[in-house]
Amino acid sequence: MTLAIKDAFQRFRRTPAFTGFSLFVLALILNAAIQGPAKFLSPRSFNTLLATNLPFLIVVMGQSILLLVGTLDISIGIQLALVNVVVVMTIQEWGVSFWTGCLFGITASLLISVLLWVSVSIFRLPALLASFSMTYIIKGINVLIMPVPQGKIERVFYRTYDRLLFGVVPFSLLIFIFVLLIWYYFKRTRFGTNIYAVGADRRNAFAAGISPKWVTLQAFLIKGLFVGIAGICLTLLTASGNPIQAEDYGIKSLSACIIGGLGFGGWGSMACGLFGGSFLIIIQNTVYYFFTMLYKLIPGFSVTTYWHNFVSDVIIFLGLLMTIVTAKGQREALRQGIAQQLKQKKEDFGGKNGSNA
Amino acid sequence: MVQTHSVKKMTFLQKVNGFIQKSPARMAIIIATLLYGITVAMVPTALNLSAITSIIMLTLLLSFASAGQTIVLIAGGMDFTVGAVMSAGAIITTAIMNGQDGNFVKTLVVVLLSSAGIGLLNGICTVKIGLPAMIVTMAISNVVNRLTYVLTDGSPLGYASPAFIKSVTSKILGFVPSLALYGLVIFPIVFYLLYFSRLGKQVYLVGNNDNAARLNGINTSKVKILTYVISATLSGFTGMLGAGYMQSAKCQMFDGYAFNSLIAVIVGGTALSGGVGTYTGSIAGALLMVVLTNMLTALSLSQPVRNIAMGIVMISLLILYNREKSVRQ
Amino acid sequence: MFEMRGIEKRFNAVIALDGASLSLSPGEVLALLGSNGSGKSTMIKVLAGLVAPNQGEIILDGQPVSINSGYESRKLGIATAFQDLSLIPTMSVMDNIMLGREPVNSVGIVNRKGAIQEVRELLERFEIQCEPDAYVQTLTPSTQTMLEVAKAVALKPRLLLLDEVTAALHYDEIEVLFRIMRELKDEGVAMIYVTHRMDEIFKICDTANIMRGGKTMTQSPINELDLDEVVFHMTGMRPEAAKKSETEDSFSEEGRELILDVSHLEMLPKVRDISMKAFKGEIIGIGGLQGQGQSEFIRLVLGAEKIEDGSIEFCGEKVSFASPAEAVKKGLGFISGERNRDAIFHLRSVEENLTTGLVAKGNLASFLSPAKLASFSKKAVERYNIVLESIKNPASTLSGGNQQKLVVARWIAMDPILLLLDDPTKGVDIVARQEIHKILRECADEGMTIIISSSESDELLTIADRIYVFFDGQVSDMLEGANKTSERLVASMMGLSKTMATEEA
Repeated sequence: MTLAIKDAFQRFRRTPAFTGFSLFVLALILNAAIQGPAKFLSPRSFNTLLATNLPFLIVVMGQSILLLVGTLDISIGIQLALVNVVVVMTIQEWGVSFWTGCLFGITASLLISVLLWVSVSIFRLPALLASFSMTYIIKGINVLIMPVPQGKIERVFYRTYDRLLFGVVPFSLLIFIFVLLIWYYFKRTRFGTNIYAVGADRRNAFAAGISPKWVTLQAFLIKGLFVGIAGICLTLLTASGNPIQAEDYGIKSLSACIIGGLGFGGWGSMACGLFGGSFLIIIQNTVYYFFTMLYKLIPGFSVTTYWHNFVSDVIIFLGLLMTIVTAKGQREALRQGIAQQLKQKKEDFGGKNGSNA
Repeated sequence: MVQTHSVKKMTFLQKVNGFIQKSPARMAIIIATLLYGITVAMVPTALNLSAITSIIMLTLLLSFASAGQTIVLIAGGMDFTVGAVMSAGAIITTAIMNGQDGNFVKTLVVVLLSSAGIGLLNGICTVKIGLPAMIVTMAISNVVNRLTYVLTDGSPLGYASPAFIKSVTSKILGFVPSLALYGLVIFPIVFYLLYFSRLGKQVYLVGNNDNAARLNGINTSKVKILTYVISATLSGFTGMLGAGYMQSAKCQMFDGYAFNSLIAVIVGGTALSGGVGTYTGSIAGALLMVVLTNMLTALSLSQPVRNIAMGIVMISLLILYNREKSVRQ
Repeated sequence: MFEMRGIEKRFNAVIALDGASLSLSPGEVLALLGSNGSGKSTMIKVLAGLVAPNQGEIILDGQPVSINSGYESRKLGIATAFQDLSLIPTMSVMDNIMLGREPVNSVGIVNRKGAIQEVRELLERFEIQCEPDAYVQTLTPSTQTMLEVAKAVALKPRLLLLDEVTAALHYDEIEVLFRIMRELKDEGVAMIYVTHRMDEIFKICDTANIMRGGKTMTQSPINELDLDEVVFHMTGMRPEAAKKSETEDSFSEEGRELILDVSHLEMLPKVRDISMKAFKGEIIGIGGLQGQGQSEFIRLVLGAEKIEDGSIEFCGEKVSFASPAEAVKKGLGFISGERNRDAIFHLRSVEENLTTGLVAKGNLASFLSPAKLASFSKKAVERYNIVLESIKNPASTLSGGNQQKLVVARWIAMDPILLLLDDPTKGVDIVARQEIHKILRECADEGMTIIISSSESDELLTIADRIYVFFDGQVSDMLEGANKTSERLVASMMGLSKTMATEEA
């Protein structure tokens, strides 16, 4: 029994998601210790944590898909603001219902994704520069649609987003599970393997009869859908519109993916992104409670919120450095595996030919 | 692969590509001149001495900031700390100088050493630890920015000293900013490093084929780390000059330079994948970027329209300049 | 049933195919022969949809067809096993085999259970011992190659293309491959078989198509050809009956200066136990099939890889170079046959490529005079007869042979004590190859010690004074003096022990 667990752990240790997972658990323990386990584990505080950070978490999922297929998008953050702006403004200006507004929001996000796909796959521009340029365009569009932060959402909707169902299940958790199910479906389709093939080696994927362009388009579309959903969550969270929010999600989501163990193209899994993203979220939370604790413990202690940001950015940087530990472990495992096979082969070989060296 | 020999079959885009690849610097200057011409034609008041002075000033600053980025990119890396290091350099400058001319040397030493330290950190993280340059330099840039907030409580103190301000902003012949005099020092150093020194030759070889360079006896790690150190040092110094231009400093004041320097270098013909590029091209690229911004301001477009136009022009330039290979040959 | 006519393909200035053609019928095994760079692999890539020909037509069942992608190639019933493999290393064995044709149900979900059965049967048929969920990157190179073939066969093609797959295989695996090829032949599958091993074509093929310089020289039934005829079509020259060898006839250690003394070198999995001595002015050959640890051994000596066990003495001094930079400082030089990967800076000018030796050694801040670099490279171009338009053009504008001469010239100009060459004439035409041999012999006569690995036995027999033969990371034989025969070399390359080889001979 213990052996089986040990074996499973050993196997897990070699998967790309391992660093992300360890960092995540570490942050979790730290957070629980600092905030007090009872408080941290209460449904109420979990609800707040998830509801506030769900948009970011879903954005990380979108970014993970792009990294898997070998591209990236740093305008993904400002795209959230675009969805937010479109939802709020279509409701306010055109008088459509909330649901129709959401539909418009998702459409806008999909359109931007297709545009980026054209730049990256058809014009073959470097994804980093193309999506950076796209940041300017989207920012401009956002402000054109909504010059200053404004608007509101019907109370019933944003109250629902914050709700704890039956006093224990956060509504935002349901949305999260819904998004996970969407990904789970795509992962089980051909796209689920083709994305790895295209990400790891476009030529070989092409030789195997896969169209790298089509698979990349699919990835961009799923990302677009996710960003649309994340944008709606953001709208529900803030209950208003702001054309220039969330821009830093672009770079942050990339860091989350790398910390989680995703490589550029074909290496890693959605779990990597999710662990990496959760790590960032919980660390920020922990840092906040850490300083609150200091204020309480040390009389007269006072620092600006700049310290919070500084400490969490330093931790993110250290998290990045951590990824080398797993990379090393994986290389070692790989080497051992091959050596093992060679030994086996030699035995077979020796058996057949007797005298051979 | 483009079939350059079958001229008949070449599409318009391929022809333009061919022309640009011959001399990206020349092309950037042509586009810049064209854009400035259009600006003047549409808004005749844009043609005045102070506008030209400001264009020269900003072009010089951006080209100083792009110098290190050029070297890093040629060696196959990427440096997103340019903006953060510049801001930090400016903040250190105003704080240490504190309006006193006598503090110049002290300031210079602190700025150069601290920025070189950040460069070393960049180099070690990308080369020795093997993290993707883009991500890790962004993370370090965040840390540096946050640190400036923490150390200054969000509002940096002090001013650049009068003589230093004068050395940057005086006008020669009535319109050339004296910042150009610093160019007389920086440009030759960069040109020497890149074209005539052993390091420069190695940088090109490492960027083109890292593996071959290593097997040919080049210490590739050392070369790559050095490019980051050079880049950060130059950024820090540019930040110091920027403080002289702006007189006081703010946190994240030069943030935009990280991406702008990258785009200027790319437009100047340096490949994102390393191995090719010239500093002349980067200077021309910097001019193009500054003229473009100037044009969008002069046309008095609203801020959002300006942003959209900027994005579209950048994408168009990228389509002309920097395309990756197709899978099918 | 199948025909290719007048196929042409140019890559920039390089002409890869120049009116090549072939034809074959169901159940026929066609050997596609030619020396390196003759265009065999390009022909395969045209059929696989990876290369778009500039001209020519492909005819299937009397109908002209066009193949614009891997997908279209598959749809026409063509499956390919590539020389450089088309497996995705970061994916599992099963995912690789099923890639692009995963069985799906009505809502698009892949049926993995159904697939796993098919994969298991396939692995059994090919006698591949691995789990379907193992990552491909954890398999040995020869297993990966078998997998590449299995993946192609699993497509149930009408036309199967095998591009130099046996180069990395062990001989028991080759037996399995031939068994399967015979089975497929009986099922009526047509096959194009690219190989460098002449003994194989007479064993398994029906017809031979021989290419040279992108042109098809002849296509005829295999039983109408003999080895001399094949070599003539490949090279355009009749093999000389008794070529006078310039190499040493006998060998003794007496009175010679020991330059390199390697004992029990190990770096798993490729290098298991290698000992070797090289004396001043000697040309040492390293023979063996591809991937027996030759490249790794050379890289260990150069300090590009880390030694796990064993020791190296260079000029009487125990050394362990931490990097090639250190080795180069001490007087080593390295020339690789993998030009694109290890040697050529294709974006940089010919001059910069020639002067890398000068650039690599010395103080980083110091001034390198453009005039000095120019005269250095001009001399090298003249001395080694490198054909070029301008020394300022990028190295990619040179032909393969001239690129390789450039790499050789780069190092010889630095006058190293010990020069290491890893399959330096790969993909180099016969004339350039002879020129390189001549240069090497001159250098050895002047006292340079040279270690050269090559996968071609003829090359080793002509140039090397002594030959160490590698098999599976170990030295299976050392040939010197009168022992230097082609039979013994081939036998030891196959891993047959010395005694067995002599029995057969």
